[in-house]
Amino acid sequence: MSQNPNSQTDFYNPNVLINLGPSHPAMHGTLRVMCRVNGETIEDANCEIGYLHRAIEKLGEDKTYHQWMVYTDRLNYCSALNNNIAYAMSVENLMGISVTERCMWIRVICMELSRIIDHIICVAINALDLGAMTVFWLLYHWREEAYTMIESMCGMRLTTTYARIGGMSYDLPDNFTERLWKFCEEFPRALDEVEGLLTSNRIWIDRTKNVGTISKEDALKFSITGPCLRASGVDHDLRRDRPYYVYPELDFDVVVGSNGDVYDRYLVRLEEMRQSVRILKQCNKKLPQGPLWVSDKRVHIPEKLEVYSKMEVLIHHFKIFMEGIDVPKGEAFTCVEGPNGELGFYVVSRGGPKAWRMRVKSPSFMLFQAFEQSVKGGKIPDAVAHLGSVNIIAGELDR
Amino acid sequence: MSKDGSSFFFPTLLNEAAKWAQKNSLWPMPFGTSCCGIEMMSTLSSTYDLSRFGAEVVRFSPRQADMLIVAGTITTKMAPVLRTIYDQMLEPKWVIAMGACSSSGGIFDTYSVLQGIDEIMPVDVYVPGCPPIPEGLIHAILHLQNKIDKGMDRKPAERPTFDDALNAMTYRKSYSDIKADFVLTQDYIDQQKASAQEK
Amino acid sequence: MRTSSVAPGAAFVSRQESFNTRLKEKFAQGRKLEFDKLAEPVLWVRNAEEAKTLVKAMTLDPEFKCDFLSDITAYDNQDGEDGEQRFVLVYQLYSTTEKIRLRIKALVAESEDAYSITDLFPAANWLEREVFDMFGIKFKNHPNLRRILMDERFTGHPLRKEYPIKQREPFKDNIQFHLGANPLRVDTETAQSEK
Repeated sequence: MSQNPNSQTDFYNPNVLINLGPSHPAMHGTLRVMCRVNGETIEDANCEIGYLHRAIEKLGEDKTYHQWMVYTDRLNYCSALNNNIAYAMSVENLMGISVTERCMWIRVICMELSRIIDHIICVAINALDLGAMTVFWLLYHWREEAYTMIESMCGMRLTTTYARIGGMSYDLPDNFTERLWKFCEEFPRALDEVEGLLTSNRIWIDRTKNVGTISKEDALKFSITGPCLRASGVDHDLRRDRPYYVYPELDFDVVVGSNGDVYDRYLVRLEEMRQSVRILKQCNKKLPQGPLWVSDKRVHIPEKLEVYSKMEVLIHHFKIFMEGIDVPKGEAFTCVEGPNGELGFYVVSRGGPKAWRMRVKSPSFMLFQAFEQSVKGGKIPDAVAHLGSVNIIAGELDR
Repeated sequence: MSKDGSSFFFPTLLNEAAKWAQKNSLWPMPFGTSCCGIEMMSTLSSTYDLSRFGAEVVRFSPRQADMLIVAGTITTKMAPVLRTIYDQMLEPKWVIAMGACSSSGGIFDTYSVLQGIDEIMPVDVYVPGCPPIPEGLIHAILHLQNKIDKGMDRKPAERPTFDDALNAMTYRKSYSDIKADFVLTQDYIDQQKASAQEK
Repeated sequence: MRTSSVAPGAAFVSRQESFNTRLKEKFAQGRKLEFDKLAEPVLWVRNAEEAKTLVKAMTLDPEFKCDFLSDITAYDNQDGEDGEQRFVLVYQLYSTTEKIRLRIKALVAESEDAYSITDLFPAANWLEREVFDMFGIKFKNHPNLRRILMDERFTGHPLRKEYPIKQREPFKDNIQFHLGANPLRVDTETAQSEK
């Protein structure tokens, strides 16, 4: 602060160091934003992360490929299905395996469903921070509906570990198509209600318009991706630009904003949820029957019934889980368009059952860097609104 | 209280009344760090309503709360923060360790994760699960209410003291035999800043 | 159109392949150009300084226009398979207009410093801090080279291969640091003398 602590001018020094500390009312996880504040204007901000650093990348070198699948759930825990599938995709790319048709469609369903639940969390928490609690209660009911569907698929609500390398752990339950139809019919009505509550709400517009603006050039310079990048006006979506799985066969629009402020990010997320529902409806119609697992002997986990009755199948199962799958030497950087941005897994393999380096490129890391720069000059309540809209997931940030 | 120390009828009833009031109005301080935090949010929201059990008022200030729900992984960087929050809470206070990570470190047995928050504070209820489903957390709160009702308390020897917490957060040096050949000092940072500004 | 995770849609593959051929003609003299499992090009450069000049050339080049930095990371080359030096520094670049990816790898020795690209991409700031934190590779001209994920006083670099995964690091004055100069009710002399 001041050079001379005993001087009289120190008493009139308006700068105060405020900690939007690791223990946050806004339930955003373990972030720390140290702000030097003059009145309510943030003159300088310094962000500190690492409060949830759980050494997931180091564990990638310690666990086999199948064992590490569990840790991928805990990265972006709001949309765990997406992480599982992205990781399975990266190892399959490394091994040169392409999954079956049915598996691809199921994976796209899972990814879009996880996109919906992640956007629900972001919009709901953003609204909760600014005082609109009704939106939180409203949207969380739909989150529970989605959770019930996910639980019927794989048995767990949040940390699913649903994808396997080469397929999925369980096939979809029998009545899943009907339930998904029902969800797709009824969920957009909730979005209409939220729009009616917030979009033309004078208070919401005053709190979020021109707040936390990230310009187009800044967005590209800071390498942010996902809805925040699209809200800043950059037309970048990996599902359309570098498509994977069945996205070329699907009909969807990429939502691009104009201003890059909190209001635009909220609108982009709402519209992306509608587009995800549109994709889900198409997937539901076109979902083919067929085998779930790829018929590659290296990765195919045999059926339990056969494991208990045939000897070779038992040994095969044993080898897959005790020794691990043998991934050839090489590396691959696989990116998917996650709900928060570009989620990438850079897997370096030197042969053997364990990876040599498992790098997770997380979108929240770049977003928080951009947040640190764009919050300077604003006010503290604006920083709270901005933080809510940028959707920082601490598990992904610190890994 | 009568002269020989035995409880009179009135203070006993007051005690019971106090316990009834405490257990039915546990004000939680949610300390959600990771995935369990999301399940805690689900518990607090409309489908699995926690306010049915009196724990509606989530106070994010430790001075106004009496139940600390630690949901999520606590790392060694976060441990002093958590301990500070625990110390700032007023007695009587209870701690629920929600999830596997706060109970015992969970699936993360690594260099930066605290293997259970009972290394630094006394815990009343442990909730297993990764993450525990909302019914699990509700069960834990009901169990805590039961515990308050029966007046169950841990033996004094088991409660870690502040010095135990200090010891846990400052690990034994003998484990580490990595010699640091480079120590980041303020001079190095200033030097780098200066050369960056020159360019 | 049938797609799979390995053979993506036709338009995207042909664009990447034409990029690969142009890259070979233009930049691959004297450098090793590999293709990884996804047919993305990997350019090996000789040292970290050359990596920075190459990244700069890629951003300025009108044909490739790599304007987006996806990732900066590193991995430990302790067994010497990729070269003699200890670490391999990896830059992932992406072009938003051409929609192509490129990876640049540089071998960095243990005592060698790499060059920071924060003047080209401000996004590299925290990414390089993380590489420093996890591996110990220092970056010249970085505006803020401090630890980012671990505590400031942590010694040792966790993602190096010899760092045991369960080894914790003692922080003698962690409590004092976070609680301010006067911690709540502990005697600082006895706390330190217990070590």
